[in-house]
Amino acid sequence: MSVVFEGYERQYCELSANLSRHCTTASALDGEQKKQKLSDIKAGIDDADTLIRKMDLEARSLQPSMKAALLAKLREYTTDLSNLKSEVKRVTTSSNVSLTARDDLLESGRADTLAVSNDQKGRLLMSTERLNQSSDRIKEGRKTMLETEELGVSILHDLHQQRQSLLHAHTTLHGVDDNISKSKRILSAMSRRMSRNKWIVGSLMTALVLAIIIILYFKLTH
Amino acid sequence: MGDHLARAEDFQNKAEKKLGGWGLFSSKFEDAAELFDKSANSFKLAKSWDKAGSTYVKLANCHLKMESKHEAAQAYVDAAHCYKKTNINESVSCLDNAVNLFCEIGRLSMAARYLKEIAELYESEQNIEQAVVYYEKSADFYENEEVNTSANQCKQKVAQFCAQLEQYQRSIEIYEEIARQSLGNNLLKYGVKGHLLNAGICQLCKGDVIAITNALERYQDLDPTFSGTREYRLLADIAAAMDEEDIGKFTEVVKEFDSMTPLDSWKTTLLLRVKEKLKAKELEEDDLT
Repeated sequence: MSVVFEGYERQYCELSANLSRHCTTASALDGEQKKQKLSDIKAGIDDADTLIRKMDLEARSLQPSMKAALLAKLREYTTDLSNLKSEVKRVTTSSNVSLTARDDLLESGRADTLAVSNDQKGRLLMSTERLNQSSDRIKEGRKTMLETEELGVSILHDLHQQRQSLLHAHTTLHGVDDNISKSKRILSAMSRRMSRNKWIVGSLMTALVLAIIIILYFKLTH
Repeated sequence: MGDHLARAEDFQNKAEKKLGGWGLFSSKFEDAAELFDKSANSFKLAKSWDKAGSTYVKLANCHLKMESKHEAAQAYVDAAHCYKKTNINESVSCLDNAVNLFCEIGRLSMAARYLKEIAELYESEQNIEQAVVYYEKSADFYENEEVNTSANQCKQKVAQFCAQLEQYQRSIEIYEEIARQSLGNNLLKYGVKGHLLNAGICQLCKGDVIAITNALERYQDLDPTFSGTREYRLLADIAAAMDEEDIGKFTEVVKEFDSMTPLDSWKTTLLLRVKEKLKAKELEEDDLT
């Protein structure tokens, strides 16, 4: 898919390594050789420019997922190239060894562009991998959340049922309470009637016994 | 085990003798009933369910003669539980008797509970029509007793089986009714989208695309949050797929929903029916063109 791009990339890396080497040697040289070296370097820089433009076109014609990664790489290369150009300009405008030495001290070393770009590629791949993993985990988490939600719904349903049965039991118990008080009253009425009956029977019996005794008495004393 | 069996037979014989003979003070029914109870218990311990069941039935007859219908009904219920393990038809007939007795006494809620048990027995036997009949009766009784939750549960089962038997209109009405009732209740409102999804699937099985879109709008009115849920999106996507008669889209949408929450077997059966219908329509179209 991006074989062409990779080809361009390799060419560019070679070229930029070459150019940076030439730059360093050119700054050490003087006079005619310097001018020749500088023109060589300029040609190399033009080549690098065209390569970058071709890579840009290639990257834009691919899919968006690849595009982002490749465009990031491309930006690195363009900054690289502009650094080289400034180097060359410095070399052409400077004629003093001490100046170049001071510039070398102040500017940080950019020798290993190739290694740096490889490192960046590796890091980008790792970050893509990690993003994929986290999106998978989010998906799993969402599934679990939905299951929990279903469980919660069924628990609420059960609670509702239990609430209804508790309310029903409450009402029934009130009914039972009323019935019990009613039956207590009935039982007490029954026991009252029972004791009343006992008294009545007892008094009737005593009355009868008294009557018998009186009659016997009258019969015997006549 | 053999000991229990022997004891049980012993009790049963004593009880029969009591029934057959003349009792003083006519307490023979109570004594017989007690002996029958003990014998049935021992049969249960000995795991001879048939004999236990028949003893309980005899116990129920005793209670009936003693005019204590409640005890008789309870005995029938015990008999049914014993028969459940061996002979389901007997069990059903015992429960029927029990239910009639409970109705006579006026304990409608217990009657409803046992009707639900009968329906469950029929369901386990895969006799779906009878199960539907009994679930309906049970739901009616529960509604009379204002026990709405159990009524809704029974009605849900009715709707489920109706959909399986292809009586879609009835299931749709039941599900919509349940959804409307659940909305008012704080505890139940989270289950509403499940009910609306079921109703929507039944609508899809009917196969009328305009009705589906109308129904989706109605559900939207019922429950404003419904349109944000995955269920609504599933229904809308399936309706669109049916409109375009695109089986690939249908399968894709269903697969996506399934990957998040697995679909249960009822839903899968119904969605499969929708898919078959779609395929048939597609083939029909091909034949005409």
